[in-house]
This record gives sequence, C-alpha cells and structure tokens, in this order.
Amino acid sequence: MKSVMACQGISKSYGAGDILERVLKRVDLELFEGQASVLVGPSGSGKTTLLSILGCLLAPSEGQLLIADQTVNFSDKSSLTEVRRKKLGFIFQHAQLLPFLTIEENLAIVGRNAGMEDMDIKQRLDGLLQRLELKVMRYKYPAQLSGGQRQRVAIARALLHRPSIVLADEPTAALDWNTGKTVVELLLEQARLEKAVLVVVTHDTRMLPLFDRILTIADGLLSEQRQTAAVENTFYTQP
Amino acid sequence: MNSVAIPVATQMLFHNRPRFIMTVVGIAIAFFLAAAQIGLLVGWINTNSAIIKHAGVDIWVMAQETRTLDYGTAIPRHRIQQVSSVQGVAWAEGMLVGWVNWQHPEGKHITVEVIGLDKANAGGPWLMPEGNISSIHLPQTVVVDELSKQTLGVRQIGDEAEMEGRRVIIGGFSRGVRTFTASPFVFTSIDNALDYVAYYQDDEISYVLVRIDPGADVMQVRDRIAREVSHVEVLTTAEFAERSVKYWMLETGVGITVIITAALGLLVGAVIMSQTLFAITQDHIANYATLLALGFHQKTLRQIVLTQSLSLGGLGIVVGSVLFFIACNASATTPIPLETTPMVSTSLILFSLLCCIASSWFSIRAIFKLDPVMVFHG
Ligand SMILES: Nc1ncnc2c1ncn2[C@@H]1O[C@H](COP(=O)(O)OP(=O)(O)OP(=O)(O)O)[C@@H](O)[C@H]1O
Ligand SMILES: [Mg+2]
Repeated sequence: MKSVMACQGISKSYGAGDILERVLKRVDLELFEGQASVLVGPSGSGKTTLLSILGCLLAPSEGQLLIADQTVNFSDKSSLTEVRRKKLGFIFQHAQLLPFLTIEENLAIVGRNAGMEDMDIKQRLDGLLQRLELKVMRYKYPAQLSGGQRQRVAIARALLHRPSIVLADEPTAALDWNTGKTVVELLLEQARLEKAVLVVVTHDTRMLPLFDRILTIADGLLSEQRQTAAVENTFYTQP
Repeated sequence: MNSVAIPVATQMLFHNRPRFIMTVVGIAIAFFLAAAQIGLLVGWINTNSAIIKHAGVDIWVMAQETRTLDYGTAIPRHRIQQVSSVQGVAWAEGMLVGWVNWQHPEGKHITVEVIGLDKANAGGPWLMPEGNISSIHLPQTVVVDELSKQTLGVRQIGDEAEMEGRRVIIGGFSRGVRTFTASPFVFTSIDNALDYVAYYQDDEISYVLVRIDPGADVMQVRDRIAREVSHVEVLTTAEFAERSVKYWMLETGVGITVIITAALGLLVGAVIMSQTLFAITQDHIANYATLLALGFHQKTLRQIVLTQSLSLGGLGIVVGSVLFFIACNASATTPIPLETTPMVSTSLILFSLLCCIASSWFSIRAIFKLDPVMVFHG
C-alpha cells in the first residue's frame, strides 16, 4: 500500500512557561492510500489540533509531517497554501460554504483554484452532484439547503479537485443520527472511490465500525484500536 | 489574476443587494460631501476673482500694496495716458472702486461696492439678462446684479434708490456677479462714481486696465510699465486674481473657515468611504478564512478585495459626481455656487480612488492576520 501521509514524532504545545499545555506528545502515524480512519478521544484531547496539523493549517511544535514523501515546510505560508490547494480536501462541522455563491459555484471555484480545466471541472461537478444526489440543488444557494444537504455539498467540494487526503472535523455533529450516518457513509464511499486518505473526527462511537482504522487520542498520546472482523461484517463490507 | 477573483468578488457584493446599494449610496454621498465642500471653495475662489478674470485685460496697474480688487485706492487719472504710451500697450482704460452707503427704499442702510467703469466697460458685468451695460454712462444710472435685487430693494429697470443721499436709477441687471460679503456690487461709469464716492478727487481712479499688443510678451510689458510709470504696482491678470484670492482666503476669517470646511469635508468623505469599504471585508471575514483554508492564496484574496474596492469606489464616484453635477446646476444662480475645474475634479477622483485603495490595504491586512485554522473552530 502506498503511504500518502506520515507524522513523525509530532508534538504540539500551546502557551509557554508555566501555562505551557502539551496537547500532542510525539505522535507517529502513517496513512495509506484509500484508507479511512476515524479519530476519537475526549473533548479537549487534541483531535482538532492533530487534524489542523495534518491539514497544514497549524505548525507542530516538534516533529515532521510528510505528504507524498515530501517534508512539509511549515515556515513557508505560501507552500502550505500550495499543499492545501492541490492535495487536501476539508469538511468542517458547519459546511462553511460561501453563502453568496450557488452550490455549483461553490464547487467550481475550488476546481479553478486548483488549476483544473473548465471541461474537467464540469465533468467532475456533474459526476459528484449525481453521486451525492445534489443535482436539483445545483443552482441554489447554501441557505436554501438543509444541514445534511450542505454537508453533502461540502463532501463534493472536498473531493472535486481530486485531493489525496480528505480531512473532516465532526462533519456530523450538527446533524441528526440518520442524516449524519448517511453523510458519513457517502463520504466513505466517495473517498474510497477516489482512493483518497480519509481522516474523520467524531464523537459518535456508533460511527466507528464504518472505518478501516480507529485512532484514539488521550493524554496527548495517539493509539490505534484494531477493527474487529465481527464489527466489520455487521456494519460495513470492505471492498 | 486568479480566474476566481472577479466572480467571487462580484458575487460577494451582489448577493446582498440592499447592502450593495447602501454601500454605493454611502460612497456616493461621501464623495458628494467632499466634492460639495471643495466645490464651495472653488466657487468662493471664483467669486473672489470673477471681475478680474472677466475683465478681458492682460495687465492691472494699481496703487502700491493693493491687497485685493475690492480695496483699490486712488491713483491719478493721468496714469492712463502714461501707461498708454508704454511700448507694447495696445489699449488702456481706467476703473474706480469705492465703498459707499446705499439706502434701501425701506429705510435701512447698507454698504455697497461701487465699480466705476470707463468707456469700454472693461471690468463690468459679463452677462446682462435685463437692460444694457451702456446705460451706466447716463447720469445717475447704475447696474446691479439680479442676485442683489432684494438686498438693494429694487425690482426692475427704472427703479430708484439713494446712494450717499443722492438719487440712483437702475439701468439694468447683471447675472453671476456674486459677492460673499454683505456688500453687493453697483456698476456705474467712473464719472458717475466720482459723484458718489466722496473720498476720491475728480482726477482720481483706482486701476488702469491694460491690453497688450498682439504678439507682445505680457511679462515684458508688465515690467516696462513698472519701470516707466512711477508710484504704481503692475500685475498681470493672473497675478492680480491670485493676490485677491489669497487675500480673502488667507488673511480674513471667512477664507480660513471656507478652507477648513473644505478640508473637513474631504476628511469626513475619505473616512466614510474607507470605513464603508472596510466594513464589507469585515462582514465576510469568516468566508475569507474558509477560502484561505481551502488553499486560496493571499494574492487571490488581495485581488478580490481590490476588485471590490475599486468597483464600489468607481460606482460611488460616478453616482456622487452626478449628484454633484445636479447640485452645481441648482446652485448656479444662488449666492453660494458650487463650482469645479477639471484639475480639481480629477484630483478629487484620484484622491477618492486612493482612499479606496487605502481601505483595501487595511482590509487585506485584516485578512492576512487571519489564522485559517479558525475554520475548524466554527
Ligand atoms: N489556539 C489555541 N491556543 C491555546 N490552546 C489551545 C488552542 N487550540 C486548542 N487549545 C487547547 O488544546 C487542547 C486541545 O484542543 P482541541 O481543539 O484540539 O481538542 P479537541 O480534541 O478537538 O476537542 P473537542 O472534541 O472538544 O473539539 C485543548 O485543551 C484546548 O484548550
Ligand atoms: Mg475539536
């Protein structure tokens, strides 16, 4: 399996001196192509912090992040933007679509920003809207959509430019269980189809069986739980 | 230019249509405010030099240290002949300025500024909607501006009033000869004027107005007159206009007030304009953070902000200019006209665009201070 992303001894502290708070302690993690991981842990344990580092939005205090075997240079803002632009897709808790753009435009600008051809963007858009059952929403504005629909648009936006890594922080926290489950299932399905690495933070343990890997953060340490075969069979059949 | 910058910039503006309209209106009003204050200043300056500029002469000869047209003092009348004989002078005539008492038919007294004109009426009114300027050469006959009809208590040609206790007859009305003082202009002939202005001797005037030979150099003729005619000061029309304006503007309280008001208008306009534009970016700060997180470069965001500032600024300036144009026309016949010159208008527009760019700069700084990691914290 191809390694897409790797954390090597990543630590993160906030503050300094007496009020120094060590949130992550020497986290090592390797993520492989097409793999879907779920990240769990108590509130305040550092899930968002780790996801922000993986997303090249936050510099670690120590350690290295490798994307496609390249060390990410956290001191160069523009190269971080470049990584996000080309290689990363994000899904936030509240979709965070641009309210003044239609669904189609919200998606298209990501493609254009990533330098995709217009033709390619159009095909990609058609395909994703179809797969995520959003075709009728195409010319609507985010405010006209339900929370679940907006998160489906967010999934499409995260995938449109074919990123190798998709990161989602509590994408279902604002949704009811059924809608949330559908959204996560769609996200998993699409990410696998695209062979993208997927990392999802969630508080909902009922979601865990859907994922390939279960990562837990507690006391700043990252550990991995084996997915049991029984659970896999009940909830999800791996391709 | 990133291909998404313009659509994102415009959609961000147009999506909230009332907000967009309010912004353009806000900028338009700010621009209008600044333009109107500056317009008042320009109108005021023009008022101060209107008679000098409309006289159609090249050179003014006057008593030494004359500070402004209105405060001309006596020089001998034969200076006209002396000036005429200077090489390069094609034509020379006199003009008299004096301050006298006008008695309103209802009894109250006001001070007026009498302008006595020579045969060619140089230095007189340039527009005569009623009557003829030549009427001032009739005995006791004067021409006043239609704007001062009420102040002087006259309504039509043939009306009578008193000046220094002597009868005057209205021979006509001029248009656009304004004064910002409380003393209207009263035009008459030098000979008539001498009857009213007691402190002038019969062989005295205030100014010699000069036209130069075609092809002669105005500076050279000016210097030659100064050399050959004694006890006078010689200025070109431009110099005299400038001196008169400077006197009223810098040496009197009125002028300072007008300047300060204009400066304040400009400042307030600039602040409103910048603030209005800055507010748009602030409203969308969360969206900018999202764009940054999604991998949009700072350069692209800068383009978005600049596109918005310049297009909103441009629209506001256009609308504001229309308002200003209407106000100029509406005020043209009032005692306080709004006026402008191409130079002033161009400078004001450039200044306004500069304000837009300055406000973009603040907006952009605010965006660049954003930490895109905030997108994860809602
Ligand atoms: N910018 C910051 N400055 C200082 N401390 C921070 C900052 N961001 C996070 N922290 C601290 O780091 C710790 C981990 O925060 P983080 O947001 O990563 O937790 P989390 O696991 O995502 O929690 P939750 O499940 O509640 O979202 C918390 O104690 C938090 O107070
Ligand atoms: Mg969190």
